[in-house]
Amino acid sequence: MILYDYPPLAECYAVRLLAALLDVPLEIRSLDYYPGREHETDEYLDIAPLGSVPALDTGTAVLGDWQAALIHLAAHHDATGQWLPLGDPDRLVAIHEWLAVARALAHSAGVARLHELIGQPAVIERCRTEAHRLLRHLERHLWFGERAGRRWLVEGEQPTIADIAVFVQVILCEEGGVSRLDYPAVRRWIDSVRGIRGFVVTSGVLPLDPTAPVHTLA
Amino acid sequence: MTVREGWHPIAASDDLPAGHIYAAQLCDVPLAVWRGQDGTVNVWEDRCPHRGVRFTIGSIHGDELRCQYHAWRFRSGSGACSAIPAHPTRKPSSAIRATLFPGVERDGLVWTKLAGDQDAPPQLDYAGAVLRAIAVNCTAQAIEIAIARAPLPGVRLFVQPVSFARAVIRGLAEDVSRLAEHDAALERLRRGLERAAA
Repeated sequence: MILYDYPPLAECYAVRLLAALLDVPLEIRSLDYYPGREHETDEYLDIAPLGSVPALDTGTAVLGDWQAALIHLAAHHDATGQWLPLGDPDRLVAIHEWLAVARALAHSAGVARLHELIGQPAVIERCRTEAHRLLRHLERHLWFGERAGRRWLVEGEQPTIADIAVFVQVILCEEGGVSRLDYPAVRRWIDSVRGIRGFVVTSGVLPLDPTAPVHTLA
Repeated sequence: MTVREGWHPIAASDDLPAGHIYAAQLCDVPLAVWRGQDGTVNVWEDRCPHRGVRFTIGSIHGDELRCQYHAWRFRSGSGACSAIPAHPTRKPSSAIRATLFPGVERDGLVWTKLAGDQDAPPQLDYAGAVLRAIAVNCTAQAIEIAIARAPLPGVRLFVQPVSFARAVIRGLAEDVSRLAEHDAALERLRRGLERAAA
């Protein structure tokens, strides 16, 4: 599989992270998204007609949506079925709810970050306010989840693609001026995701120290 | 903002699982809060004395906090620097230490003070469940006035001033089975305060 990649984008990181967790090799083609705007060239539009980045060439189709790429990887390359439990409709619905939150975070926290990183135009205060509205929702869900013995976004013992999709947005949000200070349960969940076996970092993400003890709620 | 004297809750006991460094802020002072192996609650300024990097992006190793930048280590309790990897044979000067604030755990809340003479946080004698902390974009005074005007039944509330226009509502509920209900009431209070402050 070929991943058309611009490393700083959270959505590209999501695909690289899930592929690493599933031990799926990717052939990475790095794009000069900024300042070269390579995703707007005729050559790239022949591959990905909407000019979307990332794009995942699966061999049979080019997926121009990062969440479609996550679904493809989980549906086809996860023998355990944990990342996308296709046989469990209730959990699938819950995953979809959180994928929507991840997308909303991309359009708020993510846009604020690209504004800071590469000067992409944005109504920056509106983006940050919306990001905090979403983070408050996430915090409440995770805080009550801890009390109910739920460690991940969706009910169950194992993380799902919902955790990956929301994580990549949240872990980079401070680069867009969206602080995580008010979200302690979100920070503990971040540590849980960083502690998943096979976790890989990207620029701006620190690894969980492997010698540090595993976190448990007292 | 001006520093408020006296004790303020800055975290819940549950916010300090082993190995985790909790980020907080009180009156514009950023804090790194973590638990030592013997249960000691460390409340430190969130700033390595070496190069000023936030302690909260570091990691915990046994009874020491390790700075992310140059891996200097600081001991639970005293805050003294115990190791400088770039100088493995030299004992760090006793002058190198984290800036400490007092940390007291009581009734499920973690309290500290930046200034003032009071020896200890208020004795509540109030067995209850800790409410979820609610951050509000308004002044601490605005929250205190609102709580005094319309007290919520079944809870004891405290205000943690974060910065001039931000504060956190913390507290305890008498009845653990009503946590979600109190949470919804506090969210309504937050929305009202933020609409008034906007």
